[in-house]
Amino acid sequence: MNARTTYASSAMPAVTIPTAVGSKIATELRTRFLDTGYARYALLDRGSYDHLDSPPIPDLVPIFEGVSSEVTGRTLTVVSARVLRLLPGDYLLVRHDRVHDDRPVELVLDLSPMSVPDAEVHWRHRGQVFFTMPSKPGTMTLVERGPTVMSNHTYITKRWTGTAVVRLVVLLHAQT
Amino acid sequence: MIWQLGSGFADEARLAATWRSAMPFPHLVIDDFVPESELTALLGILEEEAIEHYQGDIFSFEASTPEPATEALRALRDSFGSTFAPVLSRVTGKPVTRADMRAYAYRAGHFLLPHSDHQKGVGRQLAYAYYAPSPEPPEDGALELFRCVLEDGEVVLTESARVIEARPNRIAIFDVSDVSLHQVREVLTGLRISLAGWFYA
Repeated sequence: MNARTTYASSAMPAVTIPTAVGSKIATELRTRFLDTGYARYALLDRGSYDHLDSPPIPDLVPIFEGVSSEVTGRTLTVVSARVLRLLPGDYLLVRHDRVHDDRPVELVLDLSPMSVPDAEVHWRHRGQVFFTMPSKPGTMTLVERGPTVMSNHTYITKRWTGTAVVRLVVLLHAQT
Repeated sequence: MIWQLGSGFADEARLAATWRSAMPFPHLVIDDFVPESELTALLGILEEEAIEHYQGDIFSFEASTPEPATEALRALRDSFGSTFAPVLSRVTGKPVTRADMRAYAYRAGHFLLPHSDHQKGVGRQLAYAYYAPSPEPPEDGALELFRCVLEDGEVVLTESARVIEARPNRIAIFDVSDVSLHQVREVLTGLRISLAGWFYA
């Protein structure tokens, strides 16, 4: 089953594409983001993480638009992007997420240098997890953000020191 | 009798002053909470209570069901409430009449992320956590309290203000409000055994 069929076959459209990006490109992107600079988010009742809003990815925008349009069968345009870097002890809670009522597509690209146990992204429908993005560097996940869908980034354990999870999160809207 | 008003409750005026002045929000920490002679009986009750794993975006731990499965834990809960509700009502100024109680086991990797416990209409007045002796003393698993600033009902600042080690035979009792932000820090190794819940009006 290809990505487009998988995506379309669920009532809650979502698909993970393995090895969407290689380690060389991931390393280049992490360096690019680090050079641009992260800010710290620390309203701890919602989340704890580093973030880079509006990252410099003009070269990637057409690729994301092409891939997401191919997979979803919709003509999509990137409307926002941000990079999240989660260190040991970090997390983003569901209550920190927002509801979208215009069915955008969320694209998440795992640019982490290594896999981190239990570091996942969960998408929830009315609170229940219906799709999980595992910690697997190079993978890309596309999820349709219907009005009942919210997400969280799970807690990163402190038992593995020196780990960092880097995710590029892109929101795409249908062209009107 | 496992629960007894020990010497920690002898001076209620001093306790009340400690409660009011505690930062970042009212709380008490009392060591040697259960008489040494009663600890074996307490651990025996905990051993008989079944626990299962619970996981959500803010927590991962093992716990008993909200309503205890064994008569022994139900009795322990009820006697806990009847023993301490009157004195805590006087000390905290919050009239409470009963407590609920669940047994918790936090193993390596378990946590409970920052939250306030405050839920409108639920009636939680005071929260408590009693730390039982563990056969594998935990590394971390401390209770961390945060200072929390609100503007127009929204949290605009959070910062760590106090870390209470999960020391065996210690109880921490704290206020429940929309600023009582706290967490159980991740247990890195070992096993953290506790009884925890809330006092209700």
